[in-house]
Amino acid sequence: MTDVMADRSAVGPDPEVTPGAASGPRPAPPTQRQARRRGQLAAWAFLAPFMVAFVLFVIWPLVHGVFLSLTDQSLTGSGGSFIGLQNYSEALSDAVMWRSIGNTVWFTVLTTVPLVLIALIMALLVNTGLPGQWLWRLSFFMPFLLASTVISQIWVWIFNPEIGAANEILSAVGLEPIAWLQTANVDLISIAIATIWWTVGFNFLLYLAALQNIPTLQYEAAAVDGAGPWRQLFSITLPQLGPVTGVILILQMLASLKLFDQAYQMMNGNSSESSRPIVQYIFEAGFVGYRFGYASAISYIFFVLIVLVGIAQMIVLRRRKEDS
Amino acid sequence: MTELRVNRRSVLAGGLAAAGLAALSGCSPGQNGAARTLQFWHLLSGGDGIALQGLIDGVNSAHPEFHVRPTVLAWGAPYYTKLSMAGAGGRAPELAVMHSSRVPGYVPGGLLDPWDLNRFRELGVDESTFSEPVWNSSVVDGELYSVALDAHPFIALYNTDICEQAGVLDSDGQLLRPSDPEEFREMCREIAGVTGTHGLSYGFIGDGQQMWRLFYTLYCQHGAEMTFPPGGQVEMGPEAFAAVLEFMHSLADGEIAAQRGTIDVAIAEFAAQRSGIHFTGVWELPAMQDAGVPVGATMIPPLFGGNAVYADSHSFVLPHQSEPDEQARHDTYTVVADLLKSSLTWAAAGHIPAYLPIVEDPAYAELTPQAEYAEAADYLVYDPVAWFTGSGSNFVQQFGQIVGGAVVSGSGYAEAAEGFRSYVNTMLAQPNPADPQGERS
Amino acid sequence: MSTTTMTKIDAPVADVTQVRRTNRMPGEKPFGLLRILAFAALVLMALLWLLPVFWALVTSFKTETDAASGGLDLIGPSGFTTQAFEAILSQGNVYIWALNSLWTSAVITAITVAISALAAYAFSRLQFKGNRWLFLMVIASIIVPSQALIIPLYYQMLTFNMVDTYWGLILPQVVMAPIVFILKKFFDAVPVELEDAARVDGAGRLRVFFSVVLPLSRPILGAVSIFVFIQAWNNFLWPFLIINDTTLMTLPVGLQTVLSAYGVQYSQVMAQAVLAALPLVIVFLFYQRQIVKGVATTGFGGQ
Repeated sequence: MTDVMADRSAVGPDPEVTPGAASGPRPAPPTQRQARRRGQLAAWAFLAPFMVAFVLFVIWPLVHGVFLSLTDQSLTGSGGSFIGLQNYSEALSDAVMWRSIGNTVWFTVLTTVPLVLIALIMALLVNTGLPGQWLWRLSFFMPFLLASTVISQIWVWIFNPEIGAANEILSAVGLEPIAWLQTANVDLISIAIATIWWTVGFNFLLYLAALQNIPTLQYEAAAVDGAGPWRQLFSITLPQLGPVTGVILILQMLASLKLFDQAYQMMNGNSSESSRPIVQYIFEAGFVGYRFGYASAISYIFFVLIVLVGIAQMIVLRRRKEDS
Repeated sequence: MTELRVNRRSVLAGGLAAAGLAALSGCSPGQNGAARTLQFWHLLSGGDGIALQGLIDGVNSAHPEFHVRPTVLAWGAPYYTKLSMAGAGGRAPELAVMHSSRVPGYVPGGLLDPWDLNRFRELGVDESTFSEPVWNSSVVDGELYSVALDAHPFIALYNTDICEQAGVLDSDGQLLRPSDPEEFREMCREIAGVTGTHGLSYGFIGDGQQMWRLFYTLYCQHGAEMTFPPGGQVEMGPEAFAAVLEFMHSLADGEIAAQRGTIDVAIAEFAAQRSGIHFTGVWELPAMQDAGVPVGATMIPPLFGGNAVYADSHSFVLPHQSEPDEQARHDTYTVVADLLKSSLTWAAAGHIPAYLPIVEDPAYAELTPQAEYAEAADYLVYDPVAWFTGSGSNFVQQFGQIVGGAVVSGSGYAEAAEGFRSYVNTMLAQPNPADPQGERS
Repeated sequence: MSTTTMTKIDAPVADVTQVRRTNRMPGEKPFGLLRILAFAALVLMALLWLLPVFWALVTSFKTETDAASGGLDLIGPSGFTTQAFEAILSQGNVYIWALNSLWTSAVITAITVAISALAAYAFSRLQFKGNRWLFLMVIASIIVPSQALIIPLYYQMLTFNMVDTYWGLILPQVVMAPIVFILKKFFDAVPVELEDAARVDGAGRLRVFFSVVLPLSRPILGAVSIFVFIQAWNNFLWPFLIINDTTLMTLPVGLQTVLSAYGVQYSQVMAQAVLAALPLVIVFLFYQRQIVKGVATTGFGGQ
């Protein structure tokens, strides 16, 4: 994990900022034992507010969730008897859960590639310094500032199967209209389209920041060697963006795997087998179906999925770094 | 420059924080002037929402000592999820509306508090003021858990002008009553010839509830049974099941009805007088009258043999509160009794009132077109009883998922029936998750 | 401009708004074919990205009948109208939700940044047993998706009797390990000599923190505050679960949960969406530079 974090410094503009001393606390000036104990006390005074919240709202739920997942606890307060691993064995043979995981992974595939590619293209274009910087940033980044509810309402309206703008445009160019959010398997793609529109601005900004960290010197040297704009793009810009792309990929995949808000809202709280992501299944099992125990078990399966993806990506990234 | 910006930002942040603190100290729920506030949740929007608001305004002006504050939540699963979460949190609203079909699934988890019948008696509400089936549906385990306001069937509204032009009205100006599917389709094609768009407005795409309403109406017209014995196997007629799906598919052909109609597009279409018939709940009636549609109403014609009318009831429940306020509870009984007694207005909104003194009132017989479908009350069918069924339940959504593909594509009817059977059997094998150990039943 | 006056400490704040004007490649013509193509591509993409919001605006100024009859008209047959906005504003809900969103987001931001800065400083500077181990644990927790904690967290709130309270809404949102990480990295880069001078004068740790370190940290604190605020303002899942009382709802939750008694009305829904989008969009128009910097710097917190 720390490794990923270190990589992220690449996003910052100035690599020199991360000094060697970052690895640990600096040696304190020589002091007596008493002073050191006072130092310990001071440290805990600084730490206490965060750590109390951290233990209460992260560690405790994390531990208590394990316990809940071994019971048949109901939202209503009934149940709560220990039932061993029954929830897990039910979940692992639950076709709906596997379908939700499949949907989640499919959504991640659908969104990650465009969200990285489009963001890169946007950033490359904006970084050429063409006039209208303010407008480009506004257009691409503003949707990211809108609440999920707002973007859901807008896209539900656009995707309305009979009178929505999307179908009006399709008919205008002579194509068959589509029931975007009401057709099995199409619904998730429609949600992916809305998501790409909504969040691409974030990756765009990260790329833009990274582009500005590429030393001008390199371009000047290349120009002296007679490299044209395309040469410079492929031999300097894109290779320099490699590490940042790795980071953006990880962030994007982890974000897409956590899909809930816009999927729930655009389907208006009615789940469809082909669009229900795993987080929504946790919500439905726990809050619609009252099964807190079962929902906790699915939460842990989801958690494991996230950790596996995180680890897999770290390994891939590290190997690539060693290769180069 | 840098300094200036930082300052401006900190001023902004300081202002926000100050606003936050002020709000934190000043805001707490329910402080709404002098009158006691009763929170009342319901899921009725559209024509219903307007009518209910009228009833509530009436109660509020008759009782200055309290104020009923209605909140409208999104219909269906979101509403029921929020209602049970509020009940589980112990800070539920004082009063809420539920569909009768959902009450049996809620009682075992302790999400509802029972009504005290004696208090209602004093207010003129008891078993004698409801029809027997309605009263029975309100009682769970010998306790009164819900008080029905109405029965609201799924019917056919029709545009009398358009249908007249299409020649599908009888001499009394009533919609002809075809007795087989092809006759009905032919009738719709006649109407489509007049409107130039569709004959029938029926929205069902992505909407299990809408599919279920029409499906169950037509299924029951076959005289077929559907029962869900707890822990057992579903009993149903697969032939009738498939025949209904096939008929539903034949309607969504782009001429009779839109191929991709959603519920709100269907409503908008009929309201704009671009179709002649609208399969919908009685609740849409007032909105259509307001829209200036010359509207008649009738039961969905008996296309498969007998008459059957899918219906549910809106009923009042007491969501569980851990520390109910005695005064508020008292006021709540008054509110419910008042609403029942003024439900003639509710009949104007299309519903068949549950409170018998209203139905027996001569004023009710004079309401048109309500009187045209009053006979529906004799043919009402409610959802099969089980903890998982009912309006807005996951069950109806699942139904839509299972049959939706067949209705749209026109194939796989038998597979859909089989899929439904195995889904219901799975559900029947599970305990009610609101009370997994059966501790409270 | 400010870039030149920036100290080394300002540096972690990425100034993506300062696109170099020299980005034209040396030797490239100012109006080469490539630049014209790039410009055309930008215009096309910007249009595509503005279109949905524009369409929402267009719909919000139509009558319900015009909106419901479809079509791509910019102004419906019945003409331009602000009916939808009037209807929404007269219901009053949107004000309450916007106010709730504003102040809960502000409180979340204030608490998050305060406790994260204190902890980050301890991790960066102070010697205590288990420093490294605790820090690793906090960082490792970044991988825990908050969505996986909703069930036990909700159960906890039921136990604390905090369901349907502002504190139940706010408190679970103040733990943001990535913020601690960013701030620690920043404090690591602050030259320790600055503090040593103050300490020689006899100032305690806390005083050094407030009088020396915090003033140096303004830019980074501003950047993370902006990021935290946007996150809190737009957060949906937790506020949606914990709040049932409609008067306590935040804007995103209220819009999703509460309907108008009058049912589905397209232009009203769009008017509501436009009104809900306005606050952050207006702030963005005025503070684009700061917001863009804040988000780019704090970026990795995820979405």
